Parts: sequence; structure tokens; C-alpha cells
Amino acid sequence: MKPEFLSAVVDTLLPGDDALPTGTNAGVTAKLVEHLSSTATRDRDAYLAVLHAIAEKAGGEDVFALADEATRIAVIETVEKEMAGAFRSLTSLLLADYYEADSVLIAMGWRVEPPQPQGHSLPS
Amino acid sequence: MSKLAPVDVAVVGAGLGGAAFCKRLSERAPHLRIVCLERGDWLGPQNMPAHRKDWQSAILGAWAASPNARLIAGEPSLSADYPIDDSDSPIKPLMWNGVGGSTINWAAHFPRLHPSDFKTKTLDGLGDDWPFTYFDLEPYYDRNDVEMGVAGLAGDPAYPPKPPRPMPPLPLGRAGATAARGFDSFGWHWWPVDAAINSVVYDGRAACNNCGPCLLGCPPRAKSSADVTHWPKALRAGVELRTNCVTQQIVVQGGRAVGVIYRDAEGREYEQPASFVVVACNGIGTARLLMASHIATDPALPLGRNLMFHPCAYARGMFKEELDGPRGPVGCSIYSHEFYETDLSRGFARGVQLQATRENALLLQALRLEPRWGREAHRLLREEFRHSVPMLVMVEDLPEAHNRVALTDEIESDGLPGVKIEYTLSEDSRKRLDFGLDRAEEVLRAAGAHRVVRVPLAPLTGWHLLGTARMGDDPKTSVTDARGRCHAVPNLIVADGSLFPTVGAVNPGSTIGALALKIADDLAGEVGRG
Repeated sequence: MKPEFLSAVVDTLLPGDDALPTGTNAGVTAKLVEHLSSTATRDRDAYLAVLHAIAEKAGGEDVFALADEATRIAVIETVEKEMAGAFRSLTSLLLADYYEADSVLIAMGWRVEPPQPQGHSLPS
Repeated sequence: MSKLAPVDVAVVGAGLGGAAFCKRLSERAPHLRIVCLERGDWLGPQNMPAHRKDWQSAILGAWAASPNARLIAGEPSLSADYPIDDSDSPIKPLMWNGVGGSTINWAAHFPRLHPSDFKTKTLDGLGDDWPFTYFDLEPYYDRNDVEMGVAGLAGDPAYPPKPPRPMPPLPLGRAGATAARGFDSFGWHWWPVDAAINSVVYDGRAACNNCGPCLLGCPPRAKSSADVTHWPKALRAGVELRTNCVTQQIVVQGGRAVGVIYRDAEGREYEQPASFVVVACNGIGTARLLMASHIATDPALPLGRNLMFHPCAYARGMFKEELDGPRGPVGCSIYSHEFYETDLSRGFARGVQLQATRENALLLQALRLEPRWGREAHRLLREEFRHSVPMLVMVEDLPEAHNRVALTDEIESDGLPGVKIEYTLSEDSRKRLDFGLDRAEEVLRAAGAHRVVRVPLAPLTGWHLLGTARMGDDPKTSVTDARGRCHAVPNLIVADGSLFPTVGAVNPGSTIGALALKIADDLAGEVGRG
């Protein structure tokens, strides 16, 4: 699949805002390429099926990548309704990569270090 | 199959019930040879994800709370799981299968039952009375509090007086203080929770550093789990723990248990003769093993029936001010038992616990939003993250024979029959949940929440697997007697939450531990000190 298409899908799902980066800028598209290229990826077939369905509904990968945001959202909403389980799997994967990215944690006012070993302070 | 040298007591399951039983019995009757068989393994801090960058997504795979989810994820897990067909239950069973059992990934909220919970039939004409009272169990609650290490504050007016808690309470945090403000505005009861979590160094274990995700294990060992509380002492007292050993059958001859057959990690089968067999595999695993062993399987008997969870709902309040987010032990802040006891003017008997908890990790908060993606999802998460207080509504579930654990026709890879659960939320439980949600929303709004989101029934809350081998005096309506002895096989003992005739509206860990100590004392009294 073309990187421009995958980036368009990821950034429609994770558009970012004035503080949050887009999914692609947070590294999610690059990770998606890795997931799709590994046969060890659980649910890889489901992810590919969803992505193929998005491209097909849009009339092709290039058409989707060049479409305006409203059109891309409409296409994805249609696929979400038709392939609810597989679509949810794909969004779980992308959300995990997004919300574990350093740039996103920082934008959300959280720290990038894991919970241990330092823990947190808490008012008593 | 190899036949091993006989032991005095063979215990199946190394979770809280099995651990507390083994430790206590080994102290009271040190001459006994006690062997515990555990299907899973030990778990070290190095196996826990809280020190990894990808700690948040661990809960979607090897550290999912649901054994089914862990199996589906297909990642190597140290929990030795078996599939559970839960398609006929709106509440999904959660557990950990390894040394420490579900205390490995519990939230360690550690309340006791109330005295009224032991006599619901007498007081309310519902369920069944326990075959003993709160006050019979009280010394064991006290002892188990010391064994586990409990942080809390004595003097809670919802309970009979308790001894000073072994440790001071955990910090309320901003979220707890906010919820307390809401309760105060109505003059409603609230109290810092009893938590099996170290607020200070205790028993050689570190104090909690408020890292947050207790459900991913506790690398500093500040959270009490049976692998770090009871087991080291039981092992020092001479109990032998065999891990990665899946018990296949309890062997019964002439109406007496004569031992167990188990399979080790290499698939070799052994027969372990024993004078007493004790089963502590939780409300699903215990029923599964007894049924697979053809014990008390007469359909007229209650084995496997009366499965109880604690149905749970959530109200989540959004606040303008910054709160704690996922800091601090996730399940522990404050609770209210204002609505715990029966008041028929509410339209139902028995009660409700409200519990202000802490927040989940950022990723988990993102995953439960609707919509899950797009600009609105970002907006909702930014509104919520570090600005929310979740209020758990936990209600009493009452025994109903049609709610049950049953075997399937399949044989699973662990060698045992497959297992399924059938469970329907009762009309009264629904009323309790709705009543609790209304009160929770009132509290949150009084505390300043500008928006409250409700989850009417949280499916992934089936931690409390109770009632499927209930105690009682009547062999026709109960599986065991008051000492956990099976009516059908008197030297076969149950020592876990399966025994509960009723469940109150609080987490059962404290009662499971206390009950296991009592059962161990009963057996020690019978066999003497040697």
C-alpha cells in the first residue's frame, strides 16, 4: 500500500489539534507499515481488509489520499459500519501506537517515562 | 502415570485462598506434609511491564485482565489460562492463573463484608444465611489484615470496631478529596478504603510510590499479593509448592478423597495420594475441577450453580480543575456505604457500594471513548484526561440457581473439560445499579463536575467469582459444610470464594483470606499438632 494512502488513513483517524500531533507526525504511520509488513502481526489480515475496503470505497488509494477531510471521514465511517470488529482492531492498534508516542504524552501533559521506578507524588 | 509418596494434604491452587490456607495450616500443624499444586508459575518484578515504555498496551495483550483476551492476543503470558465460554454472560470473568492467583493483577481494595451480609435470609428473606456470623470470622479478618498488610483508618462507622489498621491510609489525592467533598455536601458516609497496599514499609516490602497501574502487577511489591505475603512464609514453614502442575482429577474411592492426579509442564502424569484434598481455584476453576472429577454432580445439587459476581457500573465526572489522572493505586481512594444496608423505600433490598477510584492510563481512557477517532475523540480525551473522577457503583448480587458454571463437551489443551458460564443480570441488581448511578451522579455534580458520563454495566469487571460451591448446613442445598468440607466427600475441602452463600456489595479478597484461615484452623484442630 502506498505511504500517502496509509498516512491519509492514519491522519483522518488521528488528526491532532493545536497541541496534539497528527498520527503520522507521531510516528504511527511508520509503525503501521512495520505491522503490515510482518507476518507475525496478529490480526494483520483484518487490518489489511479494512484498509483495502477504505481504498475501494474511495475509488482507489490515490483518490482517498487526495480527498478532502469530510470525504475521507465519510468513507471511513462507511467501512466502520460494515466491518465493525476488524475496524475496532485496527483503531486499537493505531491508538496504542499514538498514545504511547513521546510527543503525544508530552502534548497531553504527561511524562514519557513509564510508571516505574520513580512512581508519582500524590497529595495526601 | 507415576504414583508419588503420600502427603497429608494436597492443595490445588496457589492463589489467596490456597496460600492463606497453606501458611496457616503449616503454622498450626507443622508435622503435616503439605503439597500445593499450581497450574501457573511464579512471576517476578522483571516480568511486569510497569517499567517498560510500552506498559500501556500490555493491558491489551499478555496483561489483559480477561484470560480469554490474553489467549486471543496470543502473546506469551505467565498466566496459565484456559478458555472460558462467556458468551452467555454480560459480565466477563477476569482472573490470573499463577502463584498468587488474581491478587497478582487485582486492585487490592480490601473491605470486609458487613455483619448483615451473613444473614440476608433472616433479615431480608433473600439468599441464604452463612453458616456462621461476622463475629465468628472477625478474628480471622483481623489476622489476615496483619498477614496481608492493610492501609486504612480505624473507626469507620459502617463497621463494628476494627483494630488499628496495620498502616496509615493511602493518600486520597485530589480526586479522592474531590469525591469526598461531594459526599460531604449531602452528609453521606465516606471513608478511606482499606487497601492491601503498603502506605509505609511493611513486612520487608516497600511503600507504594503511587505509580498507578496496579493491574499490571507491582514491581516494588508494595501491593500485597499472595506470592509475596503468604507464600514465602508458607515455604519457610515447609509447604512444598509445585508450579506448572495442572490438576486433572480428584481421586475419590469409597466416598473419600484419596489424592489427585496432575500433569506437569512436560505432560507427565502423577498420582499424588493425600489424606485431605483442598481445592482453591476460584469460583470457576473449583467448580470445573469438582465436576470433572464427578463429585457432587447430581443436577439437584448446587455445585456450579449460584454463580455471583458483583455487577458494576460507573459514573465518571469531568471537572474544570486539574486532578490526579492515572496517579496512585487505581482502585483505591474512598468508598461510601451510605446505601449499603437494606432500605425498602428504594424499591429493593440489600445494597450498593460507591467507590471513588483513580483513573486508568491515557491509552485505556482513549480506547473507551465514543467516538474513538477523529477530532471529537481528541477533544473528549483532552477534556477528560487529568480532569475526571470515576465513581464505581458495585452492587450485591444474590444467588440464583440458573447463574452457573457448566462443563462443555470439549477437552481443552490443559486436559480438563471446557467450561462455560451462564449468567443473567437480575432485575433487582439492575435496580441497585440504577439507584447507585443516580447517587454517584449526584455526588459528582455536587463536587463540581460539569459533565457526567455513565456506563450502565461494565462488562470487564468479573473479578469476583463466587458462590458455586456454597457452604451450608443442608447437603441438599449446599456443597460444603461450614468448615468447607464437601458433604459428599468429607475429606475434600474447598477454601476459596466458591464457598460464599451470599456476597454482599464489597470486594471479596479480605473475606476469602479470612475464610481460608478459618478453614485451616478447623483442619488443624482436627488433626492436632502431631
